[in-house]
Amino acid sequence: MGYAASEPGTTAVAPALAIKILVAGGFGVGKTTMVGTISEIRPLHTEELLSDRGVGVDDTSGVEEKITTTVALDFGRITIREGLWLYLFGTPGQDRFWFMWDELALGALGAVVLADTRRLQDCFPAVDYFEQRGIPFVVGVNCFEGARRYDPDKVRRALGLNPSIPIVLCDVRERASVKEVLTTLVTYAVEGP
Amino acid sequence: MTGEDPGPLIRLFGLTGGRARPQGEMFDLVAIVTTVFGARPPADLQPEHHAVLALCRRPKPVADVAAHLRLPVNITRVILGDLRREGLVGIERPRPAAQTIDERIYREVLDGLRSL
Repeated sequence: MGYAASEPGTTAVAPALAIKILVAGGFGVGKTTMVGTISEIRPLHTEELLSDRGVGVDDTSGVEEKITTTVALDFGRITIREGLWLYLFGTPGQDRFWFMWDELALGALGAVVLADTRRLQDCFPAVDYFEQRGIPFVVGVNCFEGARRYDPDKVRRALGLNPSIPIVLCDVRERASVKEVLTTLVTYAVEGP
Repeated sequence: MTGEDPGPLIRLFGLTGGRARPQGEMFDLVAIVTTVFGARPPADLQPEHHAVLALCRRPKPVADVAAHLRLPVNITRVILGDLRREGLVGIERPRPAAQTIDERIYREVLDGLRSL
C-alpha cells in the first residue's frame, strides 16, 4: 500500500522527483512576480486552512478545534522532463506563519532571498532563518526601476553575509534574470561555495 | 478570503467528515502521489477522489493535486490519506533534495533551466 505500481507501458525510469525551492523576502519585494515570471503555469494559489491550534494560540482548551483563518500559498512549476520538476514556493510574508516555513523548508534544495535595496532590513528574518538551519540560499537583489543600483559588496556588508553566499542583481520581471538567479542557486546548493 | 459564503466550507466538511488534518503522517507538498494501477475504487467515492485517481495516473506532487482540485492543502491531504488507506494511491515520502540530486539530475536541471 505504501507504493504504487508503475504504469503499464512505461519503462523503468528514475522515480518521479519534485525539487523544492523557496522564494523568501519581505512583503512586496516581488516573490509572486518572480514565481510568475519563470513558472510554466500561472502561479498556482492554494489556501491553507489554519486552526487556532495550528497558529499556537491554544488558549481555548476544551473548545473544539476550529478553522479560523487561511493563508495563501503561491507556487509555480518548471518541468524539466516528465517526472522531474522544480517547484517554487513563495513563503508567507507574515511572521505568524513561521511554522509553515518549517514545513516548506523541509528537504528543500535551497532558497532565494529577494532583497529590495530600499528596505534591505525586510529580508533579515529570511536570511537568519536559512542561515540558522543550514539551508543553502542566494540573495537576489531586485533592481526595481528607480531603485539605486547597489554594489553587491555593500549589500553583503549590510546583510552581514558570509563571503561565499552568492548575490545576484536581478529583475524578477525578466525571465533571463530569474533563470540566472535559479541556476546560481542550484549550482551553489549542489556544488557548494 | 474569509468566506461570507458558507457553501464551500460545508462542502469541505462533507468531503473530509469535518477533519481539518489527515490522520497520521502529514504528506510533504512535494511528496509524489501515484494512483495504484488496477486498484478498484469503491462505488461511494466523491468526485474529488475520482479526480485524484485520474490525475495521479501520472505521478504528481501533493501541491499539484491541491491546485488541480482547487482545495486547501490540508483538505487535499485528508483526501489523499483516505485514498491511501483504501490502497488506491501510493504516496512516496520525498528525501531531502541534497540526497536525491546526483550528477545526472543536477545536469538535467541546469540544462533545463538554461533552455527555458
